[in-house]
Amino acid sequence: MTGISVAGIQKRFGAYQALTSVSLEVRDSEFTVLLGPSGCGKSTLLRIIAGLEYADGGTIDIGQRRVNDLPPRLRRIAMVFQNYAVFPHMTIYDNVAFGLRTRKTPEAEVRTRVMRMAELMDIGAQLSKYSAQLSGGQRQRVAVARALVVEPEVLLMDEPLSNLDALLRLQMRAELKSLLQEFNTTTIYVTHDQVEAMSLADRIAVMNGGHIEQYGSPMQIYSRPATRFVGGFIGNPPMNFLLDDHHSYSRQVGLERPGKAHSLGIRPEDIQVYREMATQCWPVKVGVVECLGPMQQFTAELDHQMLRVTADPDLALHSGETLYLRPDPAKVCWYDGEGRMLPV
Amino acid sequence: MGLFRVQARAFEPTYPLLQGAEIAVGWYRLDGRVAVKPNPWLPYLLLGPAGIFVLVFFVYPFLQVFFLAFQDSAGQWSLENFRVMVDDFNFAPSLINTLMLCFAVVPVQICLALVMAMMISRVDRGRDTLLYIWTIPLGISDLAAGIIWLSILEQSGFFNSLLGYAGLIDQPLNWLNYQNPVALFFAVVVAEIWRATAIVLVILVAGVGLIPKEYNEAAEVFGAGTWRRFFTITLPLLRPSLQSALILRTLLAFEVFAVVLILGGIDLPVLMGESFKWQFEYRDAGVAATYAVVILGISIAFTLLFLWALRVPEEAQG
Repeated sequence: MTGISVAGIQKRFGAYQALTSVSLEVRDSEFTVLLGPSGCGKSTLLRIIAGLEYADGGTIDIGQRRVNDLPPRLRRIAMVFQNYAVFPHMTIYDNVAFGLRTRKTPEAEVRTRVMRMAELMDIGAQLSKYSAQLSGGQRQRVAVARALVVEPEVLLMDEPLSNLDALLRLQMRAELKSLLQEFNTTTIYVTHDQVEAMSLADRIAVMNGGHIEQYGSPMQIYSRPATRFVGGFIGNPPMNFLLDDHHSYSRQVGLERPGKAHSLGIRPEDIQVYREMATQCWPVKVGVVECLGPMQQFTAELDHQMLRVTADPDLALHSGETLYLRPDPAKVCWYDGEGRMLPV
Repeated sequence: MGLFRVQARAFEPTYPLLQGAEIAVGWYRLDGRVAVKPNPWLPYLLLGPAGIFVLVFFVYPFLQVFFLAFQDSAGQWSLENFRVMVDDFNFAPSLINTLMLCFAVVPVQICLALVMAMMISRVDRGRDTLLYIWTIPLGISDLAAGIIWLSILEQSGFFNSLLGYAGLIDQPLNWLNYQNPVALFFAVVVAEIWRATAIVLVILVAGVGLIPKEYNEAAEVFGAGTWRRFFTITLPLLRPSLQSALILRTLLAFEVFAVVLILGGIDLPVLMGESFKWQFEYRDAGVAATYAVVILGISIAFTLLFLWALRVPEEAQG
């Protein structure tokens, strides 16, 4: 049983507050993704859990063990680095065997385990080569093999796919997912790619400005963003936010709104589009129309506020015409003046 | 103003100013106007002065030395100079002394510089200050360095005073003469280490800075302690820098001269000192040049040795 428990972690770099009291619980064999824009502190948090960086305050427990003051090598972790960090002066075999040899594994066992891992990761033909002779995707596989071969209690991954080209990234993502399901290792995975996060994670921690904005399942994060930041960061295009401090727009479409509500959040695909004037609708002027194949997106102007709407590809849309929109009441989220979600 | 090169595509509408232009291939300024086409000879022209400098001040004297060594006074090809050199009673000691000095000094300097470079790489605040202080000896000429160590080690020097105060000796000892060859040898070794470790340090500090820190972090995560990281990651990745430092330092060690001259005078003959003596005391430029050729030969041999021993296979270069 190896859960990870992080509580009240703080970190400063000089005058810059990188992390402000971050707490995070990762259950045994859970796959948690730290997601956020660059500079949000996600990599710093991962490096603190790995022990490559020391926190100014707070505690870290890995499987009931307080690891705050332990060096990385005693934390029973493995890590995959963004630029792979495959040692250039060692063969791939020696790279994969590195973690086993430092743990004084008998050479015969090293051999069997490296071979098994190489077969699993499809790098068997590369074992006698060097890092410089490998492609980016192969180096990535070596880095993952090196991490998994030691059968770590915890696997930490720092943007492992971000250096691959788009197609390879897609393929590695799928492979990584089935591989990690098989291994059942507790994993923390850092990325700034929301699609990667949604597709891989059991739970996502969305970070911003050195703290966690929301921690929950991908669907929770997507459909009930806890803050305006989360709604605006996740989804392509992101959630629409309509300033509704006078209750006029919500009344127009017959929505009950909480007392302190400041703005209304609605996903582009949760808006019904009507060509004819209908009751309880927002009349909008169509702006830019983009056809994306399985759907089309358009911008709609509602009293100088912009909405992005997803519509059926068969609907004939023309820039400048007037349409009528109705948000799905079950999908609407409400946010207060500070951008926090309000309970309905 | 940046330049762009147009290769037979002058009629592309992208560059309207070029439409119909007669010069299709060449260098253009970003606004489309024709720039001065770089002369293909320009690089050679710019390298010219440096090349001439090397030819006049290095290659020409080198050839001269070569002719001097391999020709007799009548201008005939001959190994007479070599015979005179080898028959001289100072040749064998000077060769042995030079090699022994090199073997005593260089390994210590490399180890010391490695330790210092690793220490510096761990320092965050004041790193540059520390580096500047450690490299001060670089700015001192070897003659001055010799004089500094003479003032420490001579009979009325600081070292004897110190031993006297400490009650370890009753009267000043003479460390720097032929009666005490081991002490003299070590005096030169210490002075050389003090004087010339900094150049190795500078090369190694630069080399350590070139190693991406992820490699050490990965090794740390995968269970390697400090020593293991040093021997399996840092040291192998430092090989190119070690190679440069070793070659440079070894060559300089074969040319050791001023420090030995000041501290040992004629009591510790070395190759360079002999060359000097034959040139300016015995007035025999031929034998002096022969010594220079011997130094050159040893230098080339050791350079090749280090190039081979510390080579990094192409596929293992990161």
